[in-house]
Amino acid sequence: MAIVSLQTVSKDYLTDGQPVHALDSVSLDVNRGEFVALVGRSGCGKSTLLNLAGAMDFPTAGRVMIDGVDTSTLNDAGLTALRREKVGFIFQSFQLLHTLTVFENVELPLLLAGKPNARAAARERLASVELDGLGDRYPHQLSGGQMQRVGIARALIQSPALLLADEPTGNLDTVTGAIILELLKRLTREQNTATLLATHSAEAAALADAVVRLRDGKIEEILRR
Amino acid sequence: MGRLFLFYRLMLRPLLLEPVRALLTILAVTLGVAVVLAIELAGTAAAGSFRASMETLAGDNDLEIMASGGVPEAVVGTLTALPYSIRISPRIEDSAVIAVTQQTLPLLGLDLVAESSSWNRSESPSLGSAESFLPAEDAMHFLESPDSIWVGASLGKKPGDQVRLLINDQLREFTVRGVYPDSNGNESAIVMDLAAAQRALHRFGRVDRILLKVPEVPSIEEWRERLRAALPAGVEIRAQGSGTDENRRMLAAFRWNLRLLSYIALIVGAFLIYNTISVSVVRRRPETGIVRALGASRGAVLTAFIGEAAFFGLAGAAFGLPVGRVMASGAVKLMAATVESLYVSSRPGSIELNAWSVTLALVIGPGVAIVSAYSLAREASLVSPVEAMARGRREYMTRIHKSRDLWFALALGIAAVVAARVPPMGGKPVFGYFAAILLVVASALAIPAFADAILSRSSRWLGKILGVEALLASQSLSASLRRTSVLVGALSTAIAMMASVGIMVGSFRETVLLWMNDRLPADLYLRPAGAPAPDRHPTVSLELADKISKLPGVAGVDRLRAYEISYDGLPATLASVDLSALRSDHRSNFFSGRPTEQVLSQIRGADAVLVSEPFTYKHHVRAGGTITLRLGATRASFRIVDVYYDYGSERGTILMDRQTMLRYLPDPAPSNLAIYVTPHATSETVQEEITEASAGYRVLVASNRDLRTEAIRIFDRTFAITYALEAVAVIVAVMGVAGALLALVIDRRRELGLLRFLGASAGQVRKQILVEAGLLGLLANFAGLALGFALSLVLIYVINKQSFGWSIRFHWPVAVLLGAISVVYLATVLAGLYPAQVAVRLNPLEAVHEE
Repeated sequence: MAIVSLQTVSKDYLTDGQPVHALDSVSLDVNRGEFVALVGRSGCGKSTLLNLAGAMDFPTAGRVMIDGVDTSTLNDAGLTALRREKVGFIFQSFQLLHTLTVFENVELPLLLAGKPNARAAARERLASVELDGLGDRYPHQLSGGQMQRVGIARALIQSPALLLADEPTGNLDTVTGAIILELLKRLTREQNTATLLATHSAEAAALADAVVRLRDGKIEEILRR
Repeated sequence: MGRLFLFYRLMLRPLLLEPVRALLTILAVTLGVAVVLAIELAGTAAAGSFRASMETLAGDNDLEIMASGGVPEAVVGTLTALPYSIRISPRIEDSAVIAVTQQTLPLLGLDLVAESSSWNRSESPSLGSAESFLPAEDAMHFLESPDSIWVGASLGKKPGDQVRLLINDQLREFTVRGVYPDSNGNESAIVMDLAAAQRALHRFGRVDRILLKVPEVPSIEEWRERLRAALPAGVEIRAQGSGTDENRRMLAAFRWNLRLLSYIALIVGAFLIYNTISVSVVRRRPETGIVRALGASRGAVLTAFIGEAAFFGLAGAAFGLPVGRVMASGAVKLMAATVESLYVSSRPGSIELNAWSVTLALVIGPGVAIVSAYSLAREASLVSPVEAMARGRREYMTRIHKSRDLWFALALGIAAVVAARVPPMGGKPVFGYFAAILLVVASALAIPAFADAILSRSSRWLGKILGVEALLASQSLSASLRRTSVLVGALSTAIAMMASVGIMVGSFRETVLLWMNDRLPADLYLRPAGAPAPDRHPTVSLELADKISKLPGVAGVDRLRAYEISYDGLPATLASVDLSALRSDHRSNFFSGRPTEQVLSQIRGADAVLVSEPFTYKHHVRAGGTITLRLGATRASFRIVDVYYDYGSERGTILMDRQTMLRYLPDPAPSNLAIYVTPHATSETVQEEITEASAGYRVLVASNRDLRTEAIRIFDRTFAITYALEAVAVIVAVMGVAGALLALVIDRRRELGLLRFLGASAGQVRKQILVEAGLLGLLANFAGLALGFALSLVLIYVINKQSFGWSIRFHWPVAVLLGAISVVYLATVLAGLYPAQVAVRLNPLEAVHEE
C-alpha cells in the first residue's frame, strides 16, 4: 500500500477574489523506500502538493490518504496526531528555532508528542546526519549545510513513514546541496521512508527513484527509474 | 510633505494591519490620561474650588476679626466707637441639620438690622440681593421672632414654610421669612438674626467672626495695624477669607499626594508606549535601512518614530478627555467624602472641563509618549543603513548591558536611600518622591538581569514540570529579553505601586486599630445628632451631661470640648478633656513613652497642653516648647508637655485640661461625652438608659465597638480612591501585556507555524502563549513585590511622615497582598487568551511560507 496516495486531488485558492487552480486532478502514489522528486517551474503547485501530502492542508476535491487514512475525515487533533506519527518536514530555509540548541531543536517533535527519551533519540539522529558533538550549539553557530542536517535529523526523529522536503538544497551551495541530497537518499533507503522532494535541482532529480513533473497544477509526466 | 508621506507609509499604515494591538496601546494611554484628568478635575471640584462654607454671604469685606472660642461681643462696641467709617458685620457661624433631608448647612447669624440699614444707605451690601433677602416692611416684625430664618433659593422653600432644624442637640421648628439667591457664589445656608442665632446656639456675649469693610485709604495693611491696636490681645485681625486660604493650604498635601498617585497609570502607560515603539523600531529595522539608503535623513527617521509615539499619545489624550470627565464624577464623590471626614466640611463644586484641563490632557498624553519613545527613535535614526538590515542587535545590546545596568540600579538604590533622608521642601516630601522615582528606575534597570537569571535557570525545570510548551515559552521570553524586561517593568511598576500603597494603608489601618484601643477607652460615646465633620463641633446640653452622669449604671462621664481654631495660618482643633474623670490605665500613647498618668498630671489645671503628632509636623513645635493661643479676649502661652499619637484627624489638635479651658473660654457645654459603665452594669443596659434620659434631645449614642467600626469604615472609604487608582494602573499594565503578547505572536508567527508542522496541536500553541503570559505575570509579581516593599518604606517613613506627620507602624497585610497579586496574576494570564487564540488561528502554511 502506498504511504501517501493523492487521488484526483484539486486545490483552488482565492487570491484577491480570483480563483487560482493550484492543483488540478492530481493522482500520485508514493511507497515506502521511494525517493520521489517533484519538479516544475515556480508556482506549478509543488509546495501545494507537499502541504496536502503532509496533512497541512485540505484538497478542494479528491482525497489524500496517508497510510490508508483519508485526511479529510480527521479533525485538527486527528491531523496533528497523524502528522506527528507519519510525517516529517524539511524546509528550504531550515526553519530552526534560534532560541533552542541543536539538541532541543531535534528533540522538539518528540517533546511535543510527549514521548520519553527524547535526548537519546536526538543524539542518535544527529549521529545519523554526522553532527555528533554539535548538540549543544545554537543554530547561528552552524553552517548552512549543518543547519539543514539538523533540519533532517529533526524530521526523522519520529521515524516518519513519509518525509516531505521543500527545496531542501535551495539555500545551499552546489557541493553542500549534493551532500545533503545524498544523505536524504541514504536515509530514505536505510529507514525505509518515503521521501517526496520538491526541487528545482537537476542533481536532485537525477538521484530520485521517480520524477514527477508538474505544470500549471497538473502532472505532466512521471518518470520512474 | 516628504516626511509626512514617509510617516504615513512607514508608521501609520502598518498600524491598520494590527488594529487590536494599536487600540490596546491607545487605550492604555487613554486610561493614563483619563485618570490624571479625573483626579485633577475631581480635586478642583472637591477641594480646589473650595470656598469655606462660612464664607457664604460674606460679601466684599476686607478684614475679619477672629478668636478661638469666639470674639467677645464687646469688641463690636469697641469698633463702633472708633472714629473711622468702617462697616462692621458681626457673625455667628455654625451648622444646622434639616431634619427631613438630614442635609447639613451652614447656620449664619447676621446683624440683619445693621445689614438692612447699610442697604438703605445704598452701600455695597454684604448679603447679595437685599430685596429678596429682607422685605423692609416686615423686617422688624420678623426679627423680633426667634423662629425666623432665611434660606437659599436652592432649598426650594418659600416664605411661610416651616422647617425643622437640628441645632446642637435640639430640634426646633423655624419659619422661612425670605429666600435669597444662592446660585452666584453663595452657598445655601440658614440665616438668622444674630440675636436669634446666639440664643439658638447658647452662645451669649460672643460672636464667631466680625467682618470689616474699611475705606480704600489708607491700605488694608495700615487699617489692620490701626485696628489691632484697639483690640484686645486675644483676638486676631486678618484679611477676610483667610479661612478659605487656610483650608486650601491644609488640603494641599492631600491633593498633591492624590495627584501624584494618579500619575502612576500614566507611568505604566509610558512603559507600554516604550514597548510599542520598541516593537516598531525592531520590526521596521529593514525598512528603516532601505529608506535611509534611498536618501531619507536621520531627522526624517527620528521624526517618523517620534510621530508614531505622538500619534498614540494624541489619540489617547483625545479619548482620555471624555473618559476622564466621566471618571471625575465618581472620583469627586470619594474625594469629597475624604475631605469631609478628615479635613473640613464642604460640598463639591461642579466638574468643569475647562481650557486648562483640555491642555493638560493634550500635553501629558503626547508628552509622555514622546519622552518614552525618544531614546528608541534616536537610536533607530542613528543606525547605519547596512546595520539596519542586521537582526537581533537590540537583544544583544540588552544582554551585554544587563550587568552594567545592574550596577546602575544599585547606585540608584543607594541614591534613593540618601534622598529619603532629606527633609521636606516647602512642606512637601519632594525628596521622598524623588527617592520613589529612583527606586522605580533602579528596578527597571535591574529587571533584565533579574528576568534573565530567573528564565535561564528555570526553563529546563519548567519544561520538566509543565511540558515542552513551558520550555518554549521560557526560551522565547529569554530570547526577547528587551521586550520581556519592558513588559515586566510595566506590570511590576503597577504591582509595586499597588503593593506599596496596600502595605502603607494596611500598616496605617493596623496602627489606627491599635491606637483606638488607647484612645477609645470608654464604653459609650455620645454626640449631637447630625453628620460629623472635623471642623464642626456642635455641643451637648450641659443638663443632659449632668443627667447622664447621675444614671445608676454610669461610673463616670468625660466631657470633651472642641473648638475650631486657626493656628499659625492653618486650621486646627483646640480640645479639652475632663482629666478629673479620665480613665487612663492604658499604655503610653506619647512620644516620650512616659506613663499616661504621669503626662496628664502635668497639664491638670495648668497652662500646659499636649499636642497631636500632625500638629508638631505642621507647626514645627516639640515637647518642652510653648505655643501662644488667642482664647476669647486673652492671649496666653502654654507649655507643651508632650506629643501624643493621633490618627483621628490630620488637622492637628491641641489638648488641654477642661478646667484650664474653662478659665479662658467659659462655655461649659461639651462637644461629646465619653461614658464609663460601672462593673455591675452592661453597656447595652446603660445605652438604653441614656437613650431614655435623652428624650427631647437629638443625640447619638454609640458603643465603643460601633464607634470603632464606624472609624474603620471611614478609614476604608478614605483610601478607596487610592485603591481605584492602583486598579486603573494595573488594568493599564494588563492591557499592555495583552498588546505585547499580541505583538509577540505576530512577530513569532513563523515559529508558531513551524511548531504546527512539527506536530504541535492547537492546544499546545495556546498553552505556550498562556505560559508566557503566566511567566510574565510571575516575574512581574516577584519584581513588583520587591519594589513595592521598598516603596512602602518610602511611603510610610518618608512621604506620609513629611506630608501628614503620622507615625505608622509597619505591618504586612498578607491577605490583602495575596488577594491582590492573585487577581493581577489571573488577569495577566487571561490577558494572554486573545493573543493565544490569534496564535492558534495562524495559518502555518502562510506563516512558514512568508519566510
